[in-house]
Amino acid sequence: MAFDVFITGMGIVSSIGIGVDETMNSLRQKKTGIGTLKHLNTIHELPCAEVDLTESQMKQMLGIKEDGVVVRTALLAMLATREAIAQAKLPLDGTYKVAFIHGTTVGGMEKSELYYFDYLENNTRNEYIEAHDCGSCTEKIADYFGGFSYVSTPSTACSSAANAFILGSNLIEAGVVDIAIVGGSECITKFHLNGFKTLMILDGEPCRPFDQTRAGLNLGEGAGFLVLESRKVMTERKVKPLCKFSGYGNACDAFHQTASSPDGQGAYLAMSAAIKMSGLQPVDIDYINAHGTGTPNNDESESQAIIRVFGDNPPSVSSTKSYTGHTTSASGGVEAVISIIAMQQNFIPSNLNFIQQMENISFKPVVDVIENVELRHILSNSFGFGGNNTSLVFSKI
Amino acid sequence: MRLQDIYINGAGSISIQEPLSKNGIFHPVVYNQPLVRCIEPNYKDYFEPNVSRRLSKIIKRAIVSAKQAIAESGIESPDAIITGTGLGCIEDTEKFLEAMILNQEKFLQPTFFIQSTHNTISSQIAINIGCKGYNNTFIHRGVSFDNALMDALLLFKKGEIHSALVTGNDEMTPKYFSLLGRIGYWKPEVENTLEILKQNASTGSFAGEGSVSLMFSDTKSESAYAKLQGFDLFYKPTIPVETKIRDFLSECEIEISDIDLCMTGMNGDVENDAVYSKALENLFTADSIGYYKQICGEYYTASSFGILATAYCLQQGKVPSHMILSGNSKSNVKHILFYNHFQNKDHSLALLLLC
Repeated sequence: MAFDVFITGMGIVSSIGIGVDETMNSLRQKKTGIGTLKHLNTIHELPCAEVDLTESQMKQMLGIKEDGVVVRTALLAMLATREAIAQAKLPLDGTYKVAFIHGTTVGGMEKSELYYFDYLENNTRNEYIEAHDCGSCTEKIADYFGGFSYVSTPSTACSSAANAFILGSNLIEAGVVDIAIVGGSECITKFHLNGFKTLMILDGEPCRPFDQTRAGLNLGEGAGFLVLESRKVMTERKVKPLCKFSGYGNACDAFHQTASSPDGQGAYLAMSAAIKMSGLQPVDIDYINAHGTGTPNNDESESQAIIRVFGDNPPSVSSTKSYTGHTTSASGGVEAVISIIAMQQNFIPSNLNFIQQMENISFKPVVDVIENVELRHILSNSFGFGGNNTSLVFSKI
Repeated sequence: MRLQDIYINGAGSISIQEPLSKNGIFHPVVYNQPLVRCIEPNYKDYFEPNVSRRLSKIIKRAIVSAKQAIAESGIESPDAIITGTGLGCIEDTEKFLEAMILNQEKFLQPTFFIQSTHNTISSQIAINIGCKGYNNTFIHRGVSFDNALMDALLLFKKGEIHSALVTGNDEMTPKYFSLLGRIGYWKPEVENTLEILKQNASTGSFAGEGSVSLMFSDTKSESAYAKLQGFDLFYKPTIPVETKIRDFLSECEIEISDIDLCMTGMNGDVENDAVYSKALENLFTADSIGYYKQICGEYYTASSFGILATAYCLQQGKVPSHMILSGNSKSNVKHILFYNHFQNKDHSLALLLLC
């Protein structure tokens, strides 16, 4: 299928920077955002990648009143969306039909875990009850900017933001909207920190994706949003594309609720479909921004799938979760922005903390930043609980 | 959005009506309380005891209703599975959340967390039927199912898929019921659920829950329920909904006079119902305005039950009196416009035809 969708703006917030420029500098200087928790009140001492801003600080940056009912996930999203809108010079005045598609899973959980018993027992926190569900979180962000004619909330755990790209581009191709802002946001909550801990997939040390000694992931938080539009609208608006969104693949591993199949069947199907839809061959891909969580299971399964698609000598692979932590539902958006920064600036981000190659795996990740390299096509992977696997391809123009 | 040849070829449901049956649409069970839970089928017929114990109720409902829809359609496995859910697996979410708070983050078990993410439903259906195709989940308040349907229809439009299982799943726990009650979702007392619209001087409705699975295909099966000719989903329209409806029907190349009925989500809540009345006042009379939430109750994905009920009415060629505002039943029904809104912000329109 011919696919003619372009990216004209992007915004990012994560532990390695507020905005594209800070993010780029951190990646080039190999500055990780993984450290000790400061903002989340938990008993666990685990390395995490928090955005070092309080909600009050973010509200101030956004011009929102201190007592405004806005959950942390929405605040992160607003900062990233604002940057994307500015770069794309997007008018939200009704000239164009614009969609806002926001992948998230925690929604307002960060407040629910504080006020849950108030919800049940008294009327003191009623304003947060409706803020719990993910859809209301999306509408809060959309209403902050105003002017959207379509809003939606894909939620497939760690591939939520990647799936936002699919809906956004299909809405544009079908002519339902002219422009779509797609991405995802997620703050760290005690709920999923404890959940991941019970699954024993959190590393007590900084994560080591694709390393033989890897022992789990570090949670991160953040938001990444991108502006998608058709060639026609982009030309009409006289805006320059950052790159082309060439294609996607979505497949279900259908293996286990929280584990990936050993041969990475779902990942294989998603990557293959994305490359095919882009009208490319595996050899055309210059860099894979891997899902690479650092859990023994994911990295083994993803590596097997990469070898099945690309052979024993795949293109450069790195997991930037060694910088941002695993930003869960936001990761597809955060890593899309990182991929496009790399494409524009001609460098490949490294995979931090790598020491020892995985047994039975023929390749090593990129261990040092590679500069002066042309990246024509980049594949970005996002795999979620339940085997919700999505791969995206971005191409240089 | 005008569609080409999309059919509803199979339907399965577990709701507050007779499970895995369409009988409840024409002959509904009537309740007299503001929270009504599903009537469950005998899950022993579907799961081994050890499997059944591991799965939460909403997952079991989803799998069993999905299997019914797939079986009816005659297709072995769909090309896509897409789920809409307002709250996901809220019962297990509550269990994990409560344990976490009460035990101060200690002694937690993974089971409830594993089943707490919203996409568990779609992926458990996929795991159960071994479907490795497209899989997605949408959470968007009262249009969660409508969002899932749009995602499927866009894939059909591209020719990427030829069949899709689109599901709407929500459970209403007593706790979530009580906290939504704090912010005006429910009437304190309900005398007769079938006559909930008689209580339309106040806000709130009665709560239901359900799992509905619909099999959509670009080929009509012998047992097809209805054809879907057009679908629209929009947020905070800047023009009146009446105009949106006129534009939608003209895009679908059908006259307003050809519409036999407009099926709405009226539920006895004064504010909710007024949005429908205002949008439809110049388009339809009480004889041609329908409603269905008196049968399934109010919940975030009740529109999935509404589409099922509408498709069933078309297949049967009639709409019973308890589903029409004027109280007069209708026969020889061929064209139904389906209109759903949530808090007058999110709106969806679907045109369903006899096929």
